[in-house]
Amino acid sequence: MRKILLGIAITSALFTSCSSDDDSIDQNPQVEAPLTYKFIRDGKSTVDFNGQTTRIKMAMEFRSALKDNTKSATDLHGMFAHVEGDNDFSDADLNASGKNIRSKVAASKDYFSANTTVSNQIKSLMDSWVEEQATTVFTNWETMATSGTAGQLQQVGGGTVRYVNGKGLELDQAIAKTLIGGLIADQMLNHYLSTSVLDEASNIQNNNNGIVEEGKSYTTMEHKWDEAYGYLYGNEVDPSVPVLGADSFLNTYLKQVDSDPDFAGTASAVYDALKLGRAAIVAKNYEVRDAQVAIIRENISKVPAVRAVYYLQAGKAKMATGDMASALHALSEAYGFINSLQFTREPDSSSPYFTHEEVTVFMDTLMEGQGLWGVTPETLDDMSETIAAKFGFTVAEAAN
Amino acid sequence: MIKNIALVFSLVFMMGCSSSDDSGAGGGGATDDFDRSALLTNLADNIIIPSYQDFGPKLTTLKGSIESFVATPNQSTLQTARRHWLIAYKAWQHVEMFNIGKAEALNEYHFFMNIYPVTISDIETGVSTGNYDLNTPNYHDAQGFPALDYLLYGVADDDAGIVAKFSSDANAQGYKDYLTDVINQMDNLTQQVITDWTTGYRDQFVNSSKNTATSSLNKFVNDFIFYYEKGLRANKIGIPAGVFSTTPLADKVEGYYNGEVSKELALEALNAVQDVFNGKAFSGSATGASFKTYLEYLKVDRNGQNLSAIINAQFNEARTKIQELNSNFSQQIITDNTKMTVAYDALQRAVVYLKVDMVQAFNISVDYVDADGD
Repeated sequence: MRKILLGIAITSALFTSCSSDDDSIDQNPQVEAPLTYKFIRDGKSTVDFNGQTTRIKMAMEFRSALKDNTKSATDLHGMFAHVEGDNDFSDADLNASGKNIRSKVAASKDYFSANTTVSNQIKSLMDSWVEEQATTVFTNWETMATSGTAGQLQQVGGGTVRYVNGKGLELDQAIAKTLIGGLIADQMLNHYLSTSVLDEASNIQNNNNGIVEEGKSYTTMEHKWDEAYGYLYGNEVDPSVPVLGADSFLNTYLKQVDSDPDFAGTASAVYDALKLGRAAIVAKNYEVRDAQVAIIRENISKVPAVRAVYYLQAGKAKMATGDMASALHALSEAYGFINSLQFTREPDSSSPYFTHEEVTVFMDTLMEGQGLWGVTPETLDDMSETIAAKFGFTVAEAAN
Repeated sequence: MIKNIALVFSLVFMMGCSSSDDSGAGGGGATDDFDRSALLTNLADNIIIPSYQDFGPKLTTLKGSIESFVATPNQSTLQTARRHWLIAYKAWQHVEMFNIGKAEALNEYHFFMNIYPVTISDIETGVSTGNYDLNTPNYHDAQGFPALDYLLYGVADDDAGIVAKFSSDANAQGYKDYLTDVINQMDNLTQQVITDWTTGYRDQFVNSSKNTATSSLNKFVNDFIFYYEKGLRANKIGIPAGVFSTTPLADKVEGYYNGEVSKELALEALNAVQDVFNGKAFSGSATGASFKTYLEYLKVDRNGQNLSAIINAQFNEARTKIQELNSNFSQQIITDNTKMTVAYDALQRAVVYLKVDMVQAFNISVDYVDADGD
């Protein structure tokens, strides 16, 4: 009885506050996030992001192939820029797909729709890495790597063998870590979570009126949000209840950042904001939605930043011990994460934490002269400090 | 217990509020006192109709010179037809964006005038069999200016070879018929559009000044932005520069077989767009009510600057970047495609101002979405 009365009381209070003023809808903070990322309309799930899952799976196969010296440059490029029907992958569904990785690299609406020239530069740089991996690294698979010569190098104590180019760069790491920003974070933060996409054309009107896409159970705005979600969790066994560690990209590195006590809570902040933001779309509360976007942008942007600093410091430490294979590996990861920083997004702004030009300076510095073979501890510290300061954490917090 | 209350709470919230905000962006009636009819009048009387009245006779002249070429195929008649082709093609750049009224009713007039690249095999099969129907969508990409471009410049390797196709070739009559059918189709459709504007549609256009999805200004604004995005930005620059594909497509430029006018045509189109934006009369330098004056009336600013000034500055920047290109975009793409994407980027920067800021200020809904995404 009390339950019903309370319900009625709340109901009438809400009715009054809603109906008295059209604008109040945006000010009402009461949007309830569900326990898990599940949303239903007329008994059907409204969540779908199969295109994102497809791209993550393509990227997983591509990443593995970059370490398979039986592949040719053509094979690798086919996986990067897959054409519908080509037999680039072991998974027939991927081969049948009309989607590919390359076309969504540096392709967000906010950053690149009027910046195709820079987008092409970023993609071309990745093309050149793909090419070099096949033509320079694969061909020197059994050669001992030294400064100026591509080849292999084993980590101390019978550790992993690393394959690097003449500058000491593991190109597969540069590519994989660039995809975390250039494909995944860029599409999430600067495309699907952007008002330019969420609110495009009649999206608001249609979402307000519950008008779903033809033959689908979701409104366009709901779907755009889900596509952002899919880039992060699309390879999970049950994406509605993510456990992380489900791919080799953002999903896994969000977990790694979160497992550092200095950054504990990062993963749940992102998940909670994605749930609440999606619930806010259902509730037509776009203020709550956009507040969640800011939270997601801030926390996801932290991932490449923390990992870049972590690996710069790890590289410095390994170099000091003389374990060059481990050092080059760490610095190669750092190099890719640094490239990813240009795709981050400062919350409530239209800019990344570091611009394309700033990131290019970092990368050029690392590749100067002998490249990673000759980089100094001072350079690594300076770079670490600059990145950490911009994001508001300390080098020590990221490095431990 | 608490969970249940929360559930009721959120459910009620959703239901209670769902009806309270259905106005959305645009389509809900005019919200300002700007004289939209004056804008439409200026567009119709000083820009649209004069542009058509310039284009129509130029197309008729081209028709005459093609008839002369067909009657007497030689180097001289070929040159004359080519000269009139370019004159008419440039005039066309001023009317392609007006996809409204009869132009729209003819199942998209521009589909019959300027779809490129042409499909050569459709033309050649038509020539050799006499079996084709220019009224069907299959032949959208086998007629109009691009088909003339192919027939007058690209059908053989050199001018003598082209003349031979229309004189001594086994299919000479087929070529003559196809060429004649293409120009007749263009002329016939164009006359219908012009006649409609001058015998009634003008008043209908001008008087439809309300803000509804089907009123003149709403449709015209959409047509204008769509043309800017598709006809100008994408077709002339973006597609050949490879912005929408994995690699550049140098054979997809406008006037590909002519090989030296893609820049001239693009600049002409940009001028036409900017003149419409500013309400500048087709003949002369007088300006009237326009998107520009509407934005100024609404005092739309971005970062302390008048939006109309920002848009004009962006058009001007795009023009500068296009002027830096090779007169033949195909050549530019091959030698340095970066300059093409730089021009594309400059054009694209105006899209957001037009498609988001301007339409929001006018309280008009954009009725199309980019075909992109998963």
